[in-house]
Amino acid sequence: MRFSACCVTTLLVGLASTASAVEFSGRGSSVEVAAEVDRLVLAELKTNGVEPAGLSADEDFLRRVTLDISGTLPSSRDVTLFGLDPNQSKRNAVIERLLESDEYAEAWARYWRDVIFLRATNMRAGLSSGVFVDWMTENLKDNRGWDDIATDLLTATGDVRENGSTALIFAQEGLPEDVAGEVSRVFLGIQMQCANCHDHPWDKWKREQFHELAAFFPRISVRPVREGNMLRSYEIVSVDQSVNPQDRFLAMKENADRIFRFSDRNRDGKLVKSEVENNPLGRAFDALLERGDTNKDGGLSLTELKAVEFPMPMQTGRGSTEHFMADLNNPSSPGQKIEPKFFLTGYSPKSGLSDQERRTTFSKSLTSSRSEWFSRAFVNRMWAEMTGEGFYMPIDDMGPDRTASLPEVLDLLAVQFSSNGYDIRWLMKTIALTQTYQRAVRSVDPGSESVPFASATPTRLRGDQLYSSIMTVLGSDNAQTRGRGQQMGAGGGMYRGPRSPRDQFSVLFGFDPSTPQADITGNVPQALFMMNSPLLAGQINARGFTKLTGLLRTFPENEDAINELYVLVLARESSDRELKIATEYIAEVGNREEAFEDLMWSLLNSSEFLSKR
Amino acid sequence: MELLTPQRHELVRVRKRGVSRRGFLHTVSAGALAAGTLNLRDVMSLQAAELRRQGKSMILLWMGGGPSQFETFDPKPNHANGGETKAISTSVSGIQIAQGWEKTAAVMDELAIIRSMTNKEGSHPRATYQMHTGYIPSGSVKHPSLAASIAKEISDPDFDLPAVVSVGATQGAGFLGVRYEPFMVQNASTMPQNVATTVPTNRFGRRLGLLDRLEDEFADRGGDVVVKNHRDLYSKTSKMVLSSDLKAFDISEEPESVKSQYGDSDFGRGCLLARRLVEAGTTFVEVSSRGQGGNWDTHDNLYERVGDLSAAIDPATAGLITDLKDRGLLENTLVVWMGEFGRTPKINPRGGRDHYPRVFNAAIAGCSIKGGQVIGSSTADGTAVADDPVTANDLFCSICQALDVDPRKENMSPLGRPMKIVDGGAPVGKLFS
Repeated sequence: MRFSACCVTTLLVGLASTASAVEFSGRGSSVEVAAEVDRLVLAELKTNGVEPAGLSADEDFLRRVTLDISGTLPSSRDVTLFGLDPNQSKRNAVIERLLESDEYAEAWARYWRDVIFLRATNMRAGLSSGVFVDWMTENLKDNRGWDDIATDLLTATGDVRENGSTALIFAQEGLPEDVAGEVSRVFLGIQMQCANCHDHPWDKWKREQFHELAAFFPRISVRPVREGNMLRSYEIVSVDQSVNPQDRFLAMKENADRIFRFSDRNRDGKLVKSEVENNPLGRAFDALLERGDTNKDGGLSLTELKAVEFPMPMQTGRGSTEHFMADLNNPSSPGQKIEPKFFLTGYSPKSGLSDQERRTTFSKSLTSSRSEWFSRAFVNRMWAEMTGEGFYMPIDDMGPDRTASLPEVLDLLAVQFSSNGYDIRWLMKTIALTQTYQRAVRSVDPGSESVPFASATPTRLRGDQLYSSIMTVLGSDNAQTRGRGQQMGAGGGMYRGPRSPRDQFSVLFGFDPSTPQADITGNVPQALFMMNSPLLAGQINARGFTKLTGLLRTFPENEDAINELYVLVLARESSDRELKIATEYIAEVGNREEAFEDLMWSLLNSSEFLSKR
Repeated sequence: MELLTPQRHELVRVRKRGVSRRGFLHTVSAGALAAGTLNLRDVMSLQAAELRRQGKSMILLWMGGGPSQFETFDPKPNHANGGETKAISTSVSGIQIAQGWEKTAAVMDELAIIRSMTNKEGSHPRATYQMHTGYIPSGSVKHPSLAASIAKEISDPDFDLPAVVSVGATQGAGFLGVRYEPFMVQNASTMPQNVATTVPTNRFGRRLGLLDRLEDEFADRGGDVVVKNHRDLYSKTSKMVLSSDLKAFDISEEPESVKSQYGDSDFGRGCLLARRLVEAGTTFVEVSSRGQGGNWDTHDNLYERVGDLSAAIDPATAGLITDLKDRGLLENTLVVWMGEFGRTPKINPRGGRDHYPRVFNAAIAGCSIKGGQVIGSSTADGTAVADDPVTANDLFCSICQALDVDPRKENMSPLGRPMKIVDGGAPVGKLFS
C-alpha cells in the first residue's frame, strides 16, 4: 500500500490555471484566493530561479493538516482511509471536516491561551487560563470574527475566574503600559514597548505615541474579590473616579487657594481641625498637619498648606484616571498627562472619556477596515503557524519599518480576510488549500540564500499538539483530559497547581507560540520525560493491556507489525530502509516483545514524532 | 603548554571539588609533570584567570514573599517600629542581628549584611521578576534570569548536569534559551523526575542506538536540521542520565552528621542539595524558601510566622556556609540571601508588616566578599535608607564582580536589541575591600 499525490496535483493545478486571472476587487472565496496566492508565490520563485518542492504525499499532508487544524495526529484508520480514497477533492473535504470538529476549537483556544499567558507579567494570571480556554473555544466553535473576539478582549470587565474575555488585561495586571505593549504586539504585530522609556531605537515610534496608546487604558483596575477573609479571585473594573491619593493630593494643591478660602471659616488665616471636619480636607487633615505645621501652632496657614509634600515618592499611573508619561529626568515627579491617540490611524477621542468609552472607541478604531495591520498581524501569525515560515519573522515584530517576504501575498490575504468579515475558518481553509502549504519538506542547503515558501518547513510540535498526539498513539481517551475551566466552589483555594494531566504536560512542553520556530529546540526535562517517564513506559509495553500488545497480536508477521507501528506513531508507512533496520534489530535482540517495545520507544523519541513534517 | 590544554577540564573539576591534592597531583602527573619540566606552581598559574572564572558558582537563597528586615538583619529593639524583636550579638563584635538567627550570627565573620537595599517595586510578581532578572517586567521581552546570564558566561559546557538548578519555581532563561533554563527540582529529598531509566542501562543504550539509526530517514526526507538539534539534545540528556555526577542529586548519600548541620527542614535539605551540586560543578543553584513551605509574606501574625521561618532557615543558612567553608568551596562559591522587598516599619492592626521596597536587607558571603561587615544603614525608625543606598542593579553588579562576570556584557534579544546583563548600577566597593 503506497500513497500517491498525483490526483491532488491535478486538482490544484486545475484551480490555479482557471483562477490565475482573477482580479480581487471584492470578496474572494477560499479557492479563488488560494489560487491567487499560489500564482504570486510561484511567480516570485520563478523570478529567483527556484524550483518549488513537489506536493507532499497524502500521508504527510493528512498528518500536517490534522495537526494544524485539530492539534492532533490522524488515527491509523484515518491514514489508511485517506490514502485509499480516490476522490479528487479529498484534501478539500478533509480541511472542511477538520475545521468543523470540536478539536479544532479546543486546540486553537489553547493556542491563544499560550499566546496570552506565556507572556503574562502577572504571575497570578494562570487563575483565568481555564475560563479563557472555555470562552475562546465557544468563540471558535461559533466562528466569531477576529474583530469581535479582539473587541471583547479589549473591553472586558468582570471576575477573571468567570469571564474568560478578561484574560489579556488580567495577564498584564491591567497596567496601562503593559496592556498597551501587548495589545500592539498581539493585535498589530508591532512591538512598541521599547518606546515606553525612550523613542524606539530604530523604528519611527516616538515615546509619546506609545503613551498615547496607553492612555486608552488608565481607568482599568484589577481588584481582589474576597469571600469573607479569603481571597477568591480578581475582577477587572472600570474606575472613572480617581482612587489615587496622589491624584487627590495634587488636585488639592492645584486648588489650595480656593480650598483655603472656603475652609477658613473664621478668616483667621489658619485652618484648624474643627473648620475642615465636614469638607474633603477633613480625613487627611491630621496627616497634613503632622507634616505641614512648621511653626507648631496647631493649624495650617495657606503657605504651610501649599508647602506640604506628598508623603510617598510620587508614582505615575497607578490608580489614576488619566495616563501620565513619566519624566525621565525627574522620576519622582508625576510626569506629563497624556491624551489617548491611536498611532496608526491618528484617531483621537475627546478628552475625559470614561473607561468603557475609551476602550470601546479604541477597539472600533483597531478593528476598522482601515486598520490594515490588525488584519496583517493575524494573517501573518496563522500563515507562519501553518507553513512554518511567516512573511514577517518573528511573527509579532512587523510594522511599516520592517521588510516582509512576499508582501503582496500577505496583503492579498489580509485584505480578503478583512472583506470576509475576519472569518478565521475562511482564512485557515484558504491557507490549507494553497499548494504552498501543501508542498513537501526538503533539505535546504544552509549555505545558500533561502527563498521562503519553496518547500514546507518542518517545525516542532507545540506542547498541546504533542500531548494530543501521544494520547492518540497510546489510545487514551482524549475527552477525559480536555482542559476545562477551574471549578469554583466552597473551599476552592485560588492557588492550585496545574489541574489536568494535559495542563501539567503543557507546563513541561509549552512554549510561547510567538517564538521563531528556529529557536525551539526542546530542553533537557522534555527529553527526560520522553525517555524515562513511567507514564509512557507503562504504555510502551508489549505484555499489558496496551495498544502495542494488541498490535502485535493482530499482526503476527514482523514486517506487518513494523509497518503498522509506523502508521500508528508517525502516521506513515515505514520505508524499506527502516523496515530493514527494524527487522535486523528484532533478530539481534531475539525477543519479539522486547524488540517492539524498543522500536516503539525509538519512534516516540524520534525527532519526526516531535515535528510537523 | 600544549600538553596541558586537554587537562584543563580536569583541573577545573579538581578545583570545584575543593583542593583535593591527591586528585590534583594525579591529573598533573598524567600530563605535564610526565614531561618533566613543569612544577605545581607553574601549572596553577597557567590559565589562572580562566580557571578562576570557570570554577565559580553561586547559590541564591531566595526568601520569597519579602522578608522583614526588622526580624532578620536590621533589628530595631530601641524603636517602636522594631516591635518585640530583640537584637542578638554575633561572632563579630559590634554587629547585631535579630533574635532567632543565632546560628547565622555565629558565622557572621563570613557574611556581609546590606541594610540599605532600596527599590520601587512593591508587588510580588513584579519585584520577584526584577530581583531575578535585573529588569522590570515589560510585556513583550522575557529577560533572562541573572542565573542564566551567569551560566552563559562561566559554566563549563562539558559538564554532564544542567548549569542552572532551582529547588522550587523560579524565573527562566528568557531569550537566552533552553541551554540555560533552570532545571527544576521540586523536592530535594527525592531524585528529580525522569532521570532514572525505566529499563536496564544496557537496554537504554541499545534503544539510543536504534533511535540514532532510524533518525537518518527523517534527516534525508528534509528534516536534517531538526534531526541535528534533536541528536544534540538527546546526547546531552542521555549523558546526564548515564552520568556518575547524577548522584549529586541524591542527598541520602550524606552522612547524618552533615545532614544535621542544615537542620531538619525542606529548606535545609534544599541547601544541602545546593552544596552537593556546586561541588559537582553546577554553576548556579537557587533554593527558594517559598517552594519549601517558607512564605515570608507576613501581613499578619508576624512573630509566630517569622519564628517558624527562622527556625528552618537559620540553621540551613549557617550550615551551608560552614559546610562550604569546611570543604574549601566557599572561596569559589557566592552565597546570596535575599527576597523581593522588605516590610513596612509600622506593624499593622493584624500584627503583621506589609510590603516595603524602600528599605530592605540582604546578606552575601563567599568568593571575594569581605565578611564580618555591614554595608549601609537605615534610619532609626527604619523608614528610609540613612547611608550607602544599594539598588537592585548595584547588588547585581556586585554579584557579577564577585563571579568575574562583566555586567555590561551584551546579549542579543530576539528583537535584535542588545541588552546588558545588568543595565546601570555599580558594584558596591566596600563588599570587596
